[in-house]
Amino acid sequence: MIAADGLAKSFGKRGAVQAVAGVSFTAADGAITGLLGPNGAGKTTLLRMLGTLIAPDAGSARVDGLDVVRDRYAVRRRIGVLSDARGLYPRLTARENIRYYGALHGLGGAALDQRVDVLIDVLGLRALADRRAQGFSQGERMKTAIARALVHDPHTILLDEPTNGLDIMSVRALREQLRSLRALGKCLLFSSHVMQEVAALCDTIVILGKGRVIAQGTAAELVEASRAVSLEDAFVALLGSGEGLM
Amino acid sequence: MRRVVTVFAKELVDTLRDRRTMLVTLGTAALAGPIFLMLIFNMIARQADRARDVTLPVQGAAHAPALIAFLERQQVNVVPAPDDYEAKIRAGELDVVMIVDPAFADDVAKGKAATVRLVYDRSRDRARATIEQAETLLRAYGRQWGQSRLLLRGIAPEVGNPLNVDSVNLATPQQSGALVLFLVAYYGLFASIMGGMAVALDSTAGERERQSLEPLLMTPARPIEIVTGKWLATSTLNAAVVLVTLVGFWATLAFAPLPPVGIPFLFGVQELVRFFAVLVPMILLLPAVLLWVGTRGRTYKEAQANVSVIMFVVALIPMVQLFMQRREPDWIAIVPVSGQYALLNRALRGEGLPAAELAMSWIVPVALIAIALAAVARLWSRESILAGK
Repeated sequence: MIAADGLAKSFGKRGAVQAVAGVSFTAADGAITGLLGPNGAGKTTLLRMLGTLIAPDAGSARVDGLDVVRDRYAVRRRIGVLSDARGLYPRLTARENIRYYGALHGLGGAALDQRVDVLIDVLGLRALADRRAQGFSQGERMKTAIARALVHDPHTILLDEPTNGLDIMSVRALREQLRSLRALGKCLLFSSHVMQEVAALCDTIVILGKGRVIAQGTAAELVEASRAVSLEDAFVALLGSGEGLM
Repeated sequence: MRRVVTVFAKELVDTLRDRRTMLVTLGTAALAGPIFLMLIFNMIARQADRARDVTLPVQGAAHAPALIAFLERQQVNVVPAPDDYEAKIRAGELDVVMIVDPAFADDVAKGKAATVRLVYDRSRDRARATIEQAETLLRAYGRQWGQSRLLLRGIAPEVGNPLNVDSVNLATPQQSGALVLFLVAYYGLFASIMGGMAVALDSTAGERERQSLEPLLMTPARPIEIVTGKWLATSTLNAAVVLVTLVGFWATLAFAPLPPVGIPFLFGVQELVRFFAVLVPMILLLPAVLLWVGTRGRTYKEAQANVSVIMFVVALIPMVQLFMQRREPDWIAIVPVSGQYALLNRALRGEGLPAAELAMSWIVPVALIAIALAAVARLWSRESILAGK
């Protein structure tokens, strides 16, 4: 369960760029929450704050009741993050890349091997598990990075644009994967600028624009609130334009 | 602690798989000794050969038969000088030519000072030994001649020669060959920066450039744990490179067919071990500094440019010491690089290593390692490291 309360963050000299300006929302356990917004809406910055990588200027956020600033390391053990930066080590194999993160999370021995094997199967990485990441395609790299983020079986999962660069088959497989994680009672937060993606998957949608929450609710609630006919019309109406969404 | 070991093991495997970089680093380290020593020993041998059998081209030998006889008694091979001797000296074919003044015999008969002229090019290093030998022989001849004249007039030679200069050279056989000593010490020191460079930069600036730093920093591993693991891995590889370099020098001196130059020069197993012991603080310090520099670079390339500054400093300090000539002040023992360089020289001169001085040379490096690692950890917890990508 994620609870953000008035999160704000600016960058640059004397806070010239206000990336996130007072964002409040909750993401429930056993649900997929979608963060939808055009490029530059503040999705990545918001996820970085929730992922404890950067501290908010104002406001606070809790993951399962733990503060993302004060209990940073406890939060890190409970969350799995696929961040905007998802570089792999090119000279390590996919398996070794995943294993390394497992070890850093304190796993080891047979338990870790078993966990890595499960992830390799679930994400369809079997064929390239023992190949070096050097020559991986973007989709293969993405799958490895997702496996790496899930290696410690986190309860809360933050995914920053996880479908970028995946082909349609992989996207469908990933959707299935996320749904099964939801069935296990996990809390999933999923950011995207692709409307169809969010609509197809998410239980709750938080629409971000210029660092603020424009609207939130289920797809039906959003359509109703904007008095639009379809979800797409609702997004355009809420954001003021469809620019940056596709 | 377990996370430190995890990072250490991963960085080690990662680097060892970078076969090309490893090959270049270790290859350069292994070849440095053989190549340098071959060049220097051959140079020394050539100079020594020149000094041993001097050939002196002479023009007008007939004017001064007594002088020529003296020179030939001193093992000098006197040959007639070619007509174009000036051009040949400029071209480096001749080291020195002696011209006997045609009025030599006349001047001697009149009791005037007779003239011989030495023609040479002082700017040529290789000719220096021959020139000096010719000058020394001529001066000796002049002195001998003067003394016999004084004796003829019943005056003791000491009257005209009141100062007797007796040179006592305190250099033990091991203290000679200073150039070789300098190079071995210098290169040993240099190896301790070369060995860790690729790993240190790849695991900091490279990690940032590949976009793998952000996910790494989102794991429960503390930045200080991560940087300590990276530092241990870099230091291990650095130690291996330094060891290979030193073994290269040792093996070359022990087994290679180097020309016999008459420098009893000790770099045996004992010196090798002492050398390594002296270099340990550097082997540990430079990786920490390189990691810090690498962390400040946004890309591998940027970091590499910054590292050249450190290389310049490490390369320059021993040079300054070499040219300073004065005896080193005592505080130099604790200055990194300088202290090690001074100790390396002592080890090579066969003087032994006092434990107290060895311990002193650790103080500053240990403090600097702690500062550098803490600084890297602090940089990694700053947001600007991510904003820059």
